[in-house]
Amino acid sequence: MDISLLFAQFMSGLARGMMFFLIASGLSLIFGVMNILNFAHATLWLAGAYFCYTFWNLMQDYGFGLWVSIALASLVMAAIGWVIEVLLLRRVYERKLPEQLLLTYGLILVLGDLIKLTFGVEDKVIVRPPLVAGPIFLFDTPFDSYFVFVILLGVSVAAGLWWFLKKTKYGHIVRAAVFSREMVSALGIRIPRIYTGVFVLGVFIAGLAGAVQAPVGSITLGMDMAVVVQAFCVVVIGGFGSLLGTFVGAMIVGEVYSFSILFWPEGALVLIFVVTAFILIVRPWGLFGTPMRT
Amino acid sequence: MKKSKLMVIICAFILLGGMPSLDKSQAAEPYNLGVALGLTGTGALYCKDGLDAIKLAVGEINAQGGFLKKHPIEIFTRDTQTKPDVAVRETKDLILRDKVRTVLGTYSSACAVAIKPVCEEYKVLHIPAISNSESITKDNFSPYTYQVVPNSYMQAKAVVLGVAELAKKKGWKEYVTIASDYEWGRSTQENTVALLKEYAPEVKLKKEFWPALGETQFTSYITAIMAQKPDFVIGSIASKDNVAWMQQAKAYGFFDKIPYPGSLISVSELIIQAKTLTRGLVGLARAPFFAHLDVPMMANFVKNFKAKYDRYPSDWAVMEYDAVYVLKQGIEKAGSIDTEKVREALKGAKVNTCRGELSFRTIDNQLSCSSYIGVVADDPKYPFPIYHDLVEVKGPDSWRPEAEIVADRAKEKK
Repeated sequence: MDISLLFAQFMSGLARGMMFFLIASGLSLIFGVMNILNFAHATLWLAGAYFCYTFWNLMQDYGFGLWVSIALASLVMAAIGWVIEVLLLRRVYERKLPEQLLLTYGLILVLGDLIKLTFGVEDKVIVRPPLVAGPIFLFDTPFDSYFVFVILLGVSVAAGLWWFLKKTKYGHIVRAAVFSREMVSALGIRIPRIYTGVFVLGVFIAGLAGAVQAPVGSITLGMDMAVVVQAFCVVVIGGFGSLLGTFVGAMIVGEVYSFSILFWPEGALVLIFVVTAFILIVRPWGLFGTPMRT
Repeated sequence: MKKSKLMVIICAFILLGGMPSLDKSQAAEPYNLGVALGLTGTGALYCKDGLDAIKLAVGEINAQGGFLKKHPIEIFTRDTQTKPDVAVRETKDLILRDKVRTVLGTYSSACAVAIKPVCEEYKVLHIPAISNSESITKDNFSPYTYQVVPNSYMQAKAVVLGVAELAKKKGWKEYVTIASDYEWGRSTQENTVALLKEYAPEVKLKKEFWPALGETQFTSYITAIMAQKPDFVIGSIASKDNVAWMQQAKAYGFFDKIPYPGSLISVSELIIQAKTLTRGLVGLARAPFFAHLDVPMMANFVKNFKAKYDRYPSDWAVMEYDAVYVLKQGIEKAGSIDTEKVREALKGAKVNTCRGELSFRTIDNQLSCSSYIGVVADDPKYPFPIYHDLVEVKGPDSWRPEAEIVADRAKEKK
């Protein structure tokens, strides 16, 4: 088989995987630190896409419009994340898991309707600036130039999160809180503030992922439901709460899907679920995760 | 004396007050019209336009007193979320709670197929004016379902006639297909492949790709198809998936490298991708308004739709608008809003539509509507590209022969 063909398929898988990493990393981060399974994560991702469109619509005549819109949408989502954490999530940390799940599931419905009321039911399309509108050629293989940006962004987010968690004082506190909230609290550090920060960061990344997705196709209601299952597959494979696991899981999902389209198109989606089920059976906490806290 | 006076006053009051209400209830029995559309989910792009057109048609008819000038129409709208199970639930609710006599809808074909037996069971008319899988009217025939859209076989045949011609001219030998993995995508792809085998036997199918309905990222499909190096690609992707597919394929330079003839590019896609759609593509539409501006009904509809909503109507708007007026003509022919009489009246009926005078075929209640193929090009009259060199493939030239339907139904019974 032609090597350039395999390379093209690999790059497609990489682009797909990186999109999933952007979606799933916030989900995994929130779960890892706060032990909250945020069902509404994909809906927040969708809201990010709509905000990106809204800002872009105001700035579409400018070449920088898309890039500024992506940044603004992420910031707006971070603010929304703060409101959700302070008004809702903070009140259920001590509750049982089913109640937390019910709350985040309810958020899907509420946010979904709010999105519909705010942005309408019409599909939105963002026109990409010329810089990322056409193909670039990597070893004579065409590749969508926008996905070069997506891949670079995904790598930057991964590196940024790693640096934050491993190299900064705040990151050390966050990691310590994962293992022992009581100990961190005993040192005089306010746990609720850490949780707020982590949730805001997670939603910021969800908004960023949504904004980045926006120029890929059309933005439409219900899009979140199409990605949420695969995003969960990513974190299940990689391990809830593990940044490295989420990255590896996203790459596995992206590449498995991409290469199965080449060799067995009918079974592309099935294979992802087969891999997920296999991981769940042999290592329920994922490739890089640790057994779930009770 | 006083008592009898009081009785007279009471009688007069009842007569004066009661009569109008009695008259009102007899003359103005409303016609409850159910609308089950995918207002959220994959079909939202098409269904919003459809609903707006229904509202416009209903407003026009109500301004004249309603059906038969005495039955004002009341619309009951439900969102099927483009999910068959929700479509069934909502349709049952429309029928049982809102007592609708007709259900207009819907997107997708999977939803239309799912609600067809529900409408038949409750003896309610069903006009799926967006979804077009052939199986809606061909298989498990329901006398309550009337189709005003060129079905998937008709559209496939229209494409195949054009593609076969091109294949001969250009010496095309191999092709691949990409179709959304659900009822309509499967049905259209299967019909296209079967008809191409018949009309261009020298052209061979190399590979099939089936992205899931709701797919947001087509990159892996694009590179896999390009790797096959086919002479051409036939696509059966609709709504927002179609927008995503075309946007991403364009970014790969796909359309510059591989001919992509005859895939669905409705007026919705022409409008929404006005700035990005590749010019010169050969596309397929179901009811583009610009093909029939010479028909007074279409000209009026476009004028009124634009005045009310400040945009041009899509194919889906045209067909939903036609559906309401088809129903109106059925009721007028029957002289009643009784569903059984209307159903009978529509059987084989000639009807005036925005697309001209058309008729229903009795074997499957399929309207003899056309399919349209053209080249995407800019037009100074519109802020979006339209089709140039438009070819109209008439319904009777493209629908499945009756003998085949009879044979298929006989097989079905066995």
